[in-house]
Amino acid sequence: MSNRIDERRMASVRAQTAPDRRHDYKMRMRRSDAMVTALWASGAAAVALFLFYGGAGKFGTVADTFTSLGIIAGLLGTDFVLVMLVLAARIPTIDRTVGHDRAIAVHRSLGKPALYLLLGHGVLLLIGYGMASGINPIAEIGPMLAIPDMPLAFIGLGLLIVVVITSLVAVRRRFSYEAWHLVHLLSYIAVLVAVPHQLSVGGILASGSFERAYWLALYIFAFGAIATYRFGEPLLSSVRHRLRVKSVDQIAPGVASITLSGRSLRSLHSAGGQFFVWRFWTGRTWWHSHPISLSAVPTDSTVRITVRNLGSGSNAITRVPVGTRVWFEGPYGVFTDAGRTAPKLAVVVAGIGITPVRAFLEDSNIQPGEATILLRASTREETYLWDEVLELARKKGAHVYTMVGKRSRSGRGWMTEEDARRRVTLRSIFPDLKNSDLYICGPTAWLDLVEAEARANGIPEHQLHTERFDW
Amino acid sequence: MRIRAALGGIFASAAVLGIGWQFGSAAASTFAAHAASTATTPAPTGTTAAAAPAPAASAAAPAPAPASGRSGTFVGDVASTQFGDMQVEIIVSNGKITDIKALKLTDQGGRSVQISNYAAPILRTEALKAQSAKINSVSGATYTSDGYATSLQSAIDKAGL
Repeated sequence: MSNRIDERRMASVRAQTAPDRRHDYKMRMRRSDAMVTALWASGAAAVALFLFYGGAGKFGTVADTFTSLGIIAGLLGTDFVLVMLVLAARIPTIDRTVGHDRAIAVHRSLGKPALYLLLGHGVLLLIGYGMASGINPIAEIGPMLAIPDMPLAFIGLGLLIVVVITSLVAVRRRFSYEAWHLVHLLSYIAVLVAVPHQLSVGGILASGSFERAYWLALYIFAFGAIATYRFGEPLLSSVRHRLRVKSVDQIAPGVASITLSGRSLRSLHSAGGQFFVWRFWTGRTWWHSHPISLSAVPTDSTVRITVRNLGSGSNAITRVPVGTRVWFEGPYGVFTDAGRTAPKLAVVVAGIGITPVRAFLEDSNIQPGEATILLRASTREETYLWDEVLELARKKGAHVYTMVGKRSRSGRGWMTEEDARRRVTLRSIFPDLKNSDLYICGPTAWLDLVEAEARANGIPEHQLHTERFDW
Repeated sequence: MRIRAALGGIFASAAVLGIGWQFGSAAASTFAAHAASTATTPAPTGTTAAAAPAPAASAAAPAPAPASGRSGTFVGDVASTQFGDMQVEIIVSNGKITDIKALKLTDQGGRSVQISNYAAPILRTEALKAQSAKINSVSGATYTSDGYATSLQSAIDKAGL
């Protein structure tokens, strides 16, 4: 009986909230599609600059063909690099639409193509020019370097090679994040020193032309976005909100909840589930910053984060003294209530991944019976914040399942051996999975397994929300 | 939705490329027309103003007068290079070259135009300073420099400087 009443109420609630969510989702997708379209169009525009210049007629001889292809490769490669800068700039619209992690995934996927195009640019032009003047491509390097601004362009290409190589997964592991990031900043220089040769040697971007104005506008947009959202805005925000460490509470071995106090924090409009990139101003920690999720909805004067010791950086952070000044960038991320598209809510969370989920649950507007939560931990000690989540779930009428123990060796790798033997599946925990938004947060390897099973169960892609905790 | 993004990207790209190509071919044809019209320009439009005696006649005379009296515009011969034709005209006032205009610059292949655009002002400045065609080649623009000097020399010859 009570079940039926519940269901009827659920249905009316669904009628109220579902259209809104669908509308929000549609708007988000429209923006996302517009961004993808713009990305394609910017590449096309780079090639069109060459055509605009009469490039279609410059394929008459073999040498011309090499030269023309080289110019196209250069234009396209540079466009890719500028798009990469825009994607890495953490522009709020992009973050809210597709999420920072998705933007960075696209950024990464463009890295190698951009390098290949720019290397191709150099090689093809050496071949093309060499053939035109009847010398081999290597011998052409000399005359090429004699052209003003060309030595700078060669330096830029060299820097770019260094940046991409240090970002290859295998190589990147050998560096600390900070060292890698410092090298990565060279890409700004690499892109900038390439500008003079584009303007002086490149007839396509002749002075006073529309093409030159367009090209410079691209540069100004990309570097403006970086300057604004990576440097200016975080700095102003940090100064304005004056965050300091208020208290550090060890909630488990190696895990601490840090409360920060500051001014007018509501104006940050951070939603539960989002993260900030934090910088703690102590002698040992000021030079590295860390993305850490809020573990509670902020008040106007305090925010709370929960962090586990991982590596040397986080280790130092759990021991920062009270009163430490804190700078931040953010809020970032779409692991929030705003991403909901389906009537039901399913949450799967492991280990320290609990932090954004804790804040997300507190912030989300869920009806009794709407949400089901699965909490996963390897040991009893790693059940961080479970008491708080259980309390929230009780208040909001959410079902909670827990799984504690080492991962199964025989069955599904994301659950415990015992549950695998009992033939537990994602479907048995969340019978209404297809009508649910599934929020998953935890270590990447574990998360991938849960995600794969959810996909195998036919959950639509837009109902999957993940936050990978690699840090 | 992803399909819409892909389609949007494809159509937008096609449109942008189409516009670029359309404008590009239009620009190429006007460029060709322009080149053709400059090529048919009557060669020497120079007039001998003050100096009545022909320069050939006064060649033996040591007097500096005929040179100093010359004024007008003189078009040099077309100098062919591997990268296209070069042609300049000079504006002479009282026996001094006051300006040099490039009528045709090497334009075969994207880079020649770039080099020409960059080298021509340098060559012009040098020639104005030297008041002759004895100018240094611009590095990286040897063919352009040679063609420029050749055409310039013929213009100077025509002006009888």
